Amino acid sequence: MFVCLCNGITSQVVADAISKGASTTNQIAAACGAGADCGRCRRTLRRLIDAGCHPGR
Amino acid sequence: MRSADPQTHSMVIASDYRVPNPDRVWPLLQRRKSALAGIGAHHVLVYTSTHDYGRVLVTIGVRSREPIVELLRSRVFFDWFDAVGVEDIPAVFAGEIVERFNSSTPSQPTAPGVVIAAIASVDDVSILAAEIRGAISRFQTAGVRETRVFKAFDDRHEVLILQEIDDEDAARRWIEHPDVVARWMTGAGVGAYPPLFVGKLVGMMQIDG
Repeated sequence: MFVCLCNGITSQVVADAISKGASTTNQIAAACGAGADCGRCRRTLRRLIDAGCHPGR
Repeated sequence: MRSADPQTHSMVIASDYRVPNPDRVWPLLQRRKSALAGIGAHHVLVYTSTHDYGRVLVTIGVRSREPIVELLRSRVFFDWFDAVGVEDIPAVFAGEIVERFNSSTPSQPTAPGVVIAAIASVDDVSILAAEIRGAISRFQTAGVRETRVFKAFDDRHEVLILQEIDDEDAARRWIEHPDVVARWMTGAGVGAYPPLFVGKLVGMMQIDG
């Protein structure tokens, strides 16, 4: 799934950032750029954080 | 290259999200026909949830694989989300069709069926397709008319599966007791994936380039 449309960031890339320690949307934005522009994907990012960094698997 | 059949060999962008008023979605999309043509869209299908008011599923068939990331960045999508009142941008599936399995019966009623959509992760998409092929008679018995399997561009395990089922009762039975090969049903709603979508087609728009 493409999570951040502004920067074309997928759920896998976000999951990777979370698995490397990102635990807030700001940290995810800093790590991979997701949510760094318009910020309208941050609710999805929070869901991924809550899901324990899993893109779906 | 364009396909003669809108449902076959088509690349698809799909998003499942909530809007304040689902009745506005279809007319607003129709008004954006030229903008959609501009990004290479050739078909747009809109489904509304029958159990979860405000939830819609929109699939857009596009002509080319290469510009997907650029396409998702285009103002067309953001303008569209703004127009329908979506504040939080949903995750978007982008992929291509793997196979379309027809399991309708010759005496099939003509009334539109119920659509169940799932985005999930599977171990192996090719094996899944083979398993579905071997289960067509069981799908038919369960009231499944058609199953379309799409694989994601960005994740070789990720699939979008769209099924058309005879009616609400058959759909409920399928959700509660899916066939053994339909393991994707339990993968929906995990992580970035939306929960199972159950709804009806409200419109299909063909866009000539």
